[in-house]
Amino acid sequence: MLRMPINPRPDWKERAREFGFGFHTMYGEPYWDESAYYQFTLEQIERDLEDPSEEIHRMCLEVVARVIADDELMRRFCIPERHWDFVRNSWESGDPSLYSRLDFAYTGKGPAKLYENNADTPTSLFETGFWQWLWLQDNVDRGALPRQADQFNSLQEKLVNRFRDLQFLTPGRALHFACCKGTEEDRGTVQYLQDCAREAGIEEHFVFIEDIGRDTEGRFTDLQDQVISWMFKLYPWEFMFREEFGDYLGGNNIRWLEPPWKAILSNKALLPMLWRMFPGHPNLLPAFFEDELDQAAEFDELVKKPIFSREGANISIVKSASSDRAGHKTEVLSDGPYGEEGYIYQAMYPLPKFGKNYTLIGSWLIDDEAAGISIREDSGLITLDSSRYLPHIIL
Amino acid sequence: MKSLKRTAAINLDRMRKNPGRNFVLRPIALGIVAALMGCSSKEEVKVVASVADCVDQTELDQAQCEAAYQQALQEAERTGPKYDSRQLCEAEFGNCRQSGSFFLPLMTGFMVGQMLDGRDRRQYYNPVYRYTNPYSGHYDRLMTSDGSVIGRSGKVNYTVPSTATKPKPTVTKTVSRGGFGSVASAKSSWGGGRSGGWGG
Repeated sequence: MLRMPINPRPDWKERAREFGFGFHTMYGEPYWDESAYYQFTLEQIERDLEDPSEEIHRMCLEVVARVIADDELMRRFCIPERHWDFVRNSWESGDPSLYSRLDFAYTGKGPAKLYENNADTPTSLFETGFWQWLWLQDNVDRGALPRQADQFNSLQEKLVNRFRDLQFLTPGRALHFACCKGTEEDRGTVQYLQDCAREAGIEEHFVFIEDIGRDTEGRFTDLQDQVISWMFKLYPWEFMFREEFGDYLGGNNIRWLEPPWKAILSNKALLPMLWRMFPGHPNLLPAFFEDELDQAAEFDELVKKPIFSREGANISIVKSASSDRAGHKTEVLSDGPYGEEGYIYQAMYPLPKFGKNYTLIGSWLIDDEAAGISIREDSGLITLDSSRYLPHIIL
Repeated sequence: MKSLKRTAAINLDRMRKNPGRNFVLRPIALGIVAALMGCSSKEEVKVVASVADCVDQTELDQAQCEAAYQQALQEAERTGPKYDSRQLCEAEFGNCRQSGSFFLPLMTGFMVGQMLDGRDRRQYYNPVYRYTNPYSGHYDRLMTSDGSVIGRSGKVNYTVPSTATKPKPTVTKTVSRGGFGSVASAKSSWGGGRSGGWGG
C-alpha cells in the first residue's frame, strides 16, 4: 500500500461537470483529490480487505439475529420499543438489503481493523463506483498509468445486478428514492442509485424526505399524490423512528431500502456486540458498552463514540494512567449534535499515516458481496465528511 | 487472463449528465445521443377500446379479453388521474365518474402487451385515457394514468417507451406532509448548518 503522486487530469473539472459530479469541492476545500492515489497489491486487496469484509458482514448478521431475539439488547441498541415489531418483522421475513460500507484502519500490513459499519445510509458511492473508475480509465488512456493497472471496484456492476434481483424480489412496485433537501452530496448519491436502478429496468421516482405525505389510511405519498410502495431512503432509521410519521411505519405496506433491520447495524452498539460474540477476532478492535468499562482496564486510551453519529461527529478519547477510571482525562476530538442516546468505547487504534495524511479505507458490500473500496484522507485523526477522497489502483 | 477486480465496462453515454467537451469537437457523438434518446427501449403495444375490439385486434380470446378488461378497470381505479371536482376532471378528459371522494376520467381503452417484470414476461393491461382539453397541445392524445402521452387517438398499434408499460403507483389524497425530516433539521441547526448530507 503506497501513496503515489500523479498529475491531475488537465480536464478533470470539465469531466466532473459532464458527468454531474457537483460536490468535488465542499466547504471551499477540495473533496475529490486526484493529485495522488493509493496503490495496492492484489494480495492486499483480496486477503486483507475483500475476504475480511465478507466475513465481518456475516458476523454482523449474526449480531442482528442475536439482538432481534433479545429485548434487553434491543434496548441497548436504543431501538424505540414501539418499533420493535417493525424491525423484527423485517428481519424475520428476510427483507433484502442493497449495500453497506465497512470502515477500516489498514496499514498495508497485518489485519485491517474495523472502525464501524455504515449499513443504513452510506455515501461516497458515486465517487467510488463511477468517478474513480473513470479516473483510472482516463489515466490509462492518456498513458499516465500502466494498462494493467486495475482497481478494486465492481460497485456499479454489482449495484445494477443487485437492483435486478431486488425487482425480482419486489414485483409490481415502482421504487421511490428519497433524501433530504439542501445537500448536494446526498442528492448526488441518490441520483447515482436512481441511474443504476433505471439501468436495471426499475421504474423509479424521486421525492425529498421533507415532502413525503400521508393519506387517511397512513400510506406515504410523493408530491404527485402517488402512493409509495417501495422506497430507498438516504435518511437514518434512528431519525425516522423518532419523527411524526414514524407512527405509520409498519402499518403501511412499504418495502424499504435499506430494510428496517439495518437499524441494528448502523449503530455503534454493534461494535461492543461484535467483540462480545467474536472476542479476539483479528479484524475487530476491543469495544465495550459504558457498563462494561471494568473489562477495559488494560487499555490506556479508549475512543468514545455516540451510539448514533454520522461523519465522525462527537468523538473523544478517554485516557487513563491506571486502571482507575475515576482519574481519567477526556480529550474531545470532534464536536457535533449527537450523544443523547449514550456512548460506546473502542480501544484506541490510530489511523495509519501516509506522509501528512491519516488514511481511512471504506470497504463496500453489495448485499453480502465485497464490491470495492474508497479512500478518505484527513490531516487530523478523525475522518469527517469534509475529508478528501482519493482514488486507488491495484498493481 | 486474470479477471478484473473492477466493473468491466460502463456505458459513458448513459452516465453523462451534460454535454462534454468531446461532444463539441466530435459532432458524431451528438448523433449517438439523439439516437439513444430516440430509441431507448421502446415497446410495441396494441390499444383496444372494448372487449370485442380486444378479441378482433389481439391474439387473446373472449375470456382472456374480459379478464384483461377487468384488470384494466382495476388499474384505472388504483392508478388513474384523480380530481377533487367533476369540473376539473371534465375540463381535461370530458367524461368522468365519481369514485369515493374523487372524480376519475373514464377509460378510453386499454393497452395489451407483454412486459419484462424482473426475469418474467407478463401480460399487462394498463388503462389509457383520451385527453380532450381543446386548449392544450395534447388535445386528442392518448395518455397513460401518469400522464405520459403515447400518441394521437384512433390507432390500434402504438410504439411506447417501456416505462409506459410498467406498473404505476396508486394515486391517493395526501392529508398531511412534513412528517419526516425534523431530526435532520434540528441537528443541522447545530453549528450553523452544513452542506454535507445525512449519509455517512
